[in-house]
Amino acid sequence: MSSFALYQGLANGIVTGCVYALIALSLVIIFKSTDVINFAGGEVVMVGAYLGMAALVYFELNYVLVFLFGAVGMFVIGALFDRIVLHKVLGRATPGQSILVAMVIATVGLGFAMKGTVRLFHYTEEVRRLTPAFRGPPIELGPVFLQRQDVAIVVIAVLLMLALFLFFQFTFIGKALRATSQNPKAAMLVGVPVQVMRLLIWGIACALAGVAGILIGGKLPMSVDMGGNVIILSFAAAVIGGFTNLPGAVFGGIMLGIIQNLVGITISSQAIAVAPFVVIMLVLTIRPQGLFGGQVRIKKV
Amino acid sequence: MYGSPSLGRLLPLLALLVVGFVLPRYVAEYYLYLGNVLMMYAVLAIGLDILLGQAGQFAFAHTAFFGIGCYATALLNIRWGVPFVIGMPLGALLAGMVATLIALPATRLRDVYLGLATYAFAEGAQWVFNSWTAVTNGADGVRIQPSSVFGIVVRTDTQAFPVVAIITALVIAATMYMMTSRLGRDMAAVRESEHVAMASGIDVRRVKITAFALSGVYAGIAGGMFTLFQSFVNPEQFGFVTIVLVLSMIVVGGLGTLPGVLIGVVILGLLPEVLRTVMRSFQIYQELVYGLILILTMMFMPRGIWGFIRGHGQRKKK
Repeated sequence: MSSFALYQGLANGIVTGCVYALIALSLVIIFKSTDVINFAGGEVVMVGAYLGMAALVYFELNYVLVFLFGAVGMFVIGALFDRIVLHKVLGRATPGQSILVAMVIATVGLGFAMKGTVRLFHYTEEVRRLTPAFRGPPIELGPVFLQRQDVAIVVIAVLLMLALFLFFQFTFIGKALRATSQNPKAAMLVGVPVQVMRLLIWGIACALAGVAGILIGGKLPMSVDMGGNVIILSFAAAVIGGFTNLPGAVFGGIMLGIIQNLVGITISSQAIAVAPFVVIMLVLTIRPQGLFGGQVRIKKV
Repeated sequence: MYGSPSLGRLLPLLALLVVGFVLPRYVAEYYLYLGNVLMMYAVLAIGLDILLGQAGQFAFAHTAFFGIGCYATALLNIRWGVPFVIGMPLGALLAGMVATLIALPATRLRDVYLGLATYAFAEGAQWVFNSWTAVTNGADGVRIQPSSVFGIVVRTDTQAFPVVAIITALVIAATMYMMTSRLGRDMAAVRESEHVAMASGIDVRRVKITAFALSGVYAGIAGGMFTLFQSFVNPEQFGFVTIVLVLSMIVVGGLGTLPGVLIGVVILGLLPEVLRTVMRSFQIYQELVYGLILILTMMFMPRGIWGFIRGHGQRKKK
């Protein structure tokens, strides 16, 4: 393999990795604060992408508004799902394992319902792509060529991550959200409205994944089933970060993007599909707390 | 629940056997096919319930063992002419062995981490079915040859039905026995609290590995049953959709209860057929309806249909 292909693979890997990182972040902030693994994550990405397409093609909005439309739409869907479904499931469940199973099944149900709903629109039967926001000749960056659209993806993703970091670190609501995820009972005692925080978390996470969907909609062919491939890579990314570590998830996402691209170049395109599963199994069996996490949280009796 | 299963409990199984032999004479082939599919799902779901409902291990790898059992039984028959009565147990054994191997590292994990690892394994196994073309013929699939059961070559659903019914009855009887045995109680203890189980002198790790192995054997048996009434097998059938379907059967019916699992199998197994006759353009709505059922069940009947029925019965008694 020439070093040129290696550099190009690295660059492409970072671009797709940024999108996986966003989706992994969405999974991690939901898991951290609500103990739910969102198995509908892939469908959230898919619906986000189609909301973007609706805004672009049907409402003919400009690209800034397209992102806004997708983000707000997914925020509402995520928040409603938490308020209507998860709130009820949580209130009804008996303590112990059954909550976990019930929550997972509920998110799986959400995934199916979303796929089913999108399928009702005949427009989605054909595989399409979003028109990229930035077009033009590729940018030459040392040994690699980057599409303008790819540069935009990286810039937008990094800006979003930065915004998320600032939000969690410095704003009042962000701090309340962190308090809720660390210890809901204590947060409640000091007056944090935990229910509202859960709803916000689901909203923010889904908005994040939705924007990631719009970003990837310009690169991957869009179909109702597109979520499946994307989500497994994002799961792997989140697992690398131990599923609770936000910077770890970002690192994992970019790693996964690079691994995926390099496996495609060096081994075979067939092996790409199995790479994320191998990563998940290896990391979980060797270091279940992730590459960054500290001690595994063990529940005492 | 303790003690050995009484005769009264085994009575429904005898009925199943009788039905297995009598029904094929009077019912159309299509309904027998449905019956075969339902019974196969019953074995598959009971197997997953041992791991999930009895032992409380949140594992997703079931379709991998299902696929291993199915491919092994089919290929043994095609390549070497191994009859079903030998091929199916061999396939189940192989599935059980792979499940044991998976259990060794997997028992170190729990909850969502276990779920993710086993989910990854199942997807990886599907990739192997797809890519190991020399053995599985890849995405093109394998055409299953009719196998012989005690000299009778099973070619139709009518011929397969009694065999499938016998296997199902045996599996259910074995499960009933297992649930009341020491192993069943050990698994329940592990499910409720690993720490308490450990303090009571239960070898938690061994119980978990046994549960994995048993679950794998059940899935392997289901895979073998699949070859009896299907003429074609391809990797598509062992994907995420199948595991979700089986998981939903258990959860919608009632996790950890045999009657609940069977109720779930019948309802979710028959639902597509019923809806297809009610709504003409059902195919489009299938996913939506299915998703809503899952969400609504979790919202209003978190312990499944059987738990809901039993809960009402107990409240009335009080």
